[in-house]
Amino acid sequence: MLLLTILLPFLGFLTLGLFGRRFREPAPGVLASGLVLLSFLLVVYLALAGGARFAVGDWLPGIPFALLGDRLSIYMALVVTGIGFLIHVYAIGYMAKDPGYSRFFAYFNFFIAMMLTLVFADSYPVMFIGWEGVGLASFLLIGFWYQEWKNADSARKAFVVNRIGDLGFLLGMALLYKLFGTLQISAIREAMASSLVLPAGLALAGTLLFLGAIGKSAQVPLMVWLPDAMAGPTPVSALIHAATMVTAGVYLLARSSFLYANLPDVSYWIAVIGLVTALYAALAALGQWDIKRIIAYSTISQLGYMFLAAGVGAYWIALFHVMTHAFYKALLFLSSGSVIHALGGEQDVRRMGGLRKYLPRTHLHGLAGALSLAGFPLLAGFWSKDAIVSATLSYPFGGVGFYAVALFTAFLTATYAMRWYVLVFLGDYRGQGHPHEAPPVMTLPNDVLALGAVFAGFLALPKPLWNLIEPYLAPALAHVEVQELSPAAEWGLLLVGAAVALAGIYAGYAFFSNYFRRRVPAWYQSFERAGEQGFYADWLYNTFLVNPAKELAFFLGLSDRGLDGGYRYGALGVAALGRWLARLQTGYVRFYALLVLAFAAVFAIWGVIR
Amino acid sequence: MNTYYLLISAALFALGAYGVLARRSAILVFMSVELMLNAANLALVVFAREQGSPAGQAVALLLIALAAAEVAVGLALVVAIYRTRESTLVDDLAELKG
Amino acid sequence: MIVFNLLAGALLLLTGFLSVYLRNAVHAALALAANFVVMGTVYMVLQARFLGWVQIIVYAGAIMVLFVFVIMLLHAAQAEVGFDPLPWMRPAALAVAAVGFLALAWALGAARAPLAAKASAALLKGGTALALGPELWNTWRYPVLLVAALLLVATVAAVALIRPGKEGA
Repeated sequence: MLLLTILLPFLGFLTLGLFGRRFREPAPGVLASGLVLLSFLLVVYLALAGGARFAVGDWLPGIPFALLGDRLSIYMALVVTGIGFLIHVYAIGYMAKDPGYSRFFAYFNFFIAMMLTLVFADSYPVMFIGWEGVGLASFLLIGFWYQEWKNADSARKAFVVNRIGDLGFLLGMALLYKLFGTLQISAIREAMASSLVLPAGLALAGTLLFLGAIGKSAQVPLMVWLPDAMAGPTPVSALIHAATMVTAGVYLLARSSFLYANLPDVSYWIAVIGLVTALYAALAALGQWDIKRIIAYSTISQLGYMFLAAGVGAYWIALFHVMTHAFYKALLFLSSGSVIHALGGEQDVRRMGGLRKYLPRTHLHGLAGALSLAGFPLLAGFWSKDAIVSATLSYPFGGVGFYAVALFTAFLTATYAMRWYVLVFLGDYRGQGHPHEAPPVMTLPNDVLALGAVFAGFLALPKPLWNLIEPYLAPALAHVEVQELSPAAEWGLLLVGAAVALAGIYAGYAFFSNYFRRRVPAWYQSFERAGEQGFYADWLYNTFLVNPAKELAFFLGLSDRGLDGGYRYGALGVAALGRWLARLQTGYVRFYALLVLAFAAVFAIWGVIR
Repeated sequence: MNTYYLLISAALFALGAYGVLARRSAILVFMSVELMLNAANLALVVFAREQGSPAGQAVALLLIALAAAEVAVGLALVVAIYRTRESTLVDDLAELKG
Repeated sequence: MIVFNLLAGALLLLTGFLSVYLRNAVHAALALAANFVVMGTVYMVLQARFLGWVQIIVYAGAIMVLFVFVIMLLHAAQAEVGFDPLPWMRPAALAVAAVGFLALAWALGAARAPLAAKASAALLKGGTALALGPELWNTWRYPVLLVAALLLVATVAAVALIRPGKEGA
């Protein structure tokens, strides 16, 4: 059952990959979407049936190929296949008339299969297969339009930066294997539960695994690949670089929560890194002019929030945010896709504006997404984000400092969300051409996503009201001691959060609605320029890491050449010696006989004398 | 008497060795080889006599048979080479050199 | 007896020298044949009568006739003519042969501690076929069989090598 869930999209990948050229549009898209829908239904069935297990005994020596469908993985798989299905459907319209149509859906199905492998894995090596598989899918899809250098470079950059994190994952796995003698997650969990003393080196293993999560989820300092990953088609950005793959890091932390719940120091640094990432990306998002890069930075920022939640110990809140974020971020990306589609490839918000008139449906989608992202009260993003912000106070690894910065970031989030919305949809149209609304195959998935972005938050509400997610996920996550806030305090915090969000929304609206008509303060312009470059993170990496590495490589290349030269001259010397010795090989049999007999005589004398 | 014949054997062996090196016709080289073989046989017979063991004679007998086989193949080779090269000179077979 | 030994030794050395010295291949072959005959008589004196007769019949008879036959067949009687590409070979050969002789002579003559000549010669019973046969068919059984097989192989090889129609002959 579990295996079938994974194999269905994989079957689609094989079929489309091998025979994709024989299908006529839109058959590949329909086939791929249908398979993902089937997968989704299977996961729903699994959820109702209460989970499943699958294992092949000796897959690697001592390591079974184990899959586990517990509540955590089913929850995650529901998000992956559900959102994935909607984005598949959207892509049928978005990718229409692209020469790589069937290739695109083959990659897409491959991604879903690998993501499900990652989610259902019950041992770290199996998870690593999925982990690398989604990395590969990401690489292939970022560079989908590989004819342009920029796209291929972005794909390579994503791949290389991810490898750094993957090294951490691998080393962490190795260390865990050394500590526990197994890599099956449930077995390690039981071992952790049954032993009172933590094995030495566990903190290092946790840190190394966390490094893997940093790479995959584009946290500081490995965040540089995600903005460039927007080079791929927009559905790719929505599916892989917003809704699902990048949350794999959060999933890894949640999956390993039994580890991190026992490692306060590591958890503290997870929270710090998450917070720094959230703040950094929120600031950088204010400087972006590319419609997709704004959302890409907001993704990094929201992932930072999730890491913050996982770091303070609120694993279920992190996963809750994964779900709501998947809805509204996919919605934002797909709305951007519709806008780009409508404008014939234009991505610069400076040449947009006033699209509310031309794209009424998409405008509503964008509004719902942006408000949800901004944390407008009662929308999905509001509930999950405020759950995170207040969790910094109630959960064991949190603190007031976290709360303050998280709240400030929430303000920034609201501001840049409104900036995006205002620049794209309000004001006057600043470009040329005639925008046209997207076809129904693209707007219908967005309708569903918009519903999710608005209402998904009601699955988990603060204390006196219902909360479905926490008890559902509780058996699969580590138990942490929560210092309960009183309902009054909790709702008070909620009100503060709402106020901050509304303030941010107003600020964004007020500042950007007539941005192009008035003088902008000089300090803001320079801030904007810095933000556009992501605060020079790429420049820093190039200056301090990439270029020195290149110089080193060049230098090593020189010394290598010297070494080669040494070998070459050595070989020439041997060859000369050989040529000289070859002159002994006169070809005359009698000469050889002379040598034989002469040496026989010499040996005879030697034998006699001895 | 034994030492005397052993010295004769050594002299014949050296003569054969000289012949192998100095002769240029393949047939004559072969004959020199036979001379060397005979010198060895003579030494074997002398040893047999000295030890009072017939083993030396038995080996000598086998050597004679071996020599017969060697001559058969060797002369066949010479004939085969002569057919293609119209020559029995070993120095004419000098293509295989470095 | 001493006279025979001296005479036989002188004849062996003379014919051996002639066989490597004579320019005419037929003459050299005949000198070698004479050498083999003398060698046969020496064997008989050295308590190896059967071996002596085999030497005369196989070597002096069969093998030397084969040599003479091939020399005649290939018109190779005057083969040692024409350009000599290795003119320094003759002195080199002389040197190697001299060094080899000195080494062997030292090993077999001066440097060797001769065994006490017991009545050992009598043990050979004259080296007749009757005396040699049991030794051959007991101790040397398998080598004899192997040599027999080798002779067969050599015969087949010789026939195969000069089979007409091969190598574009």
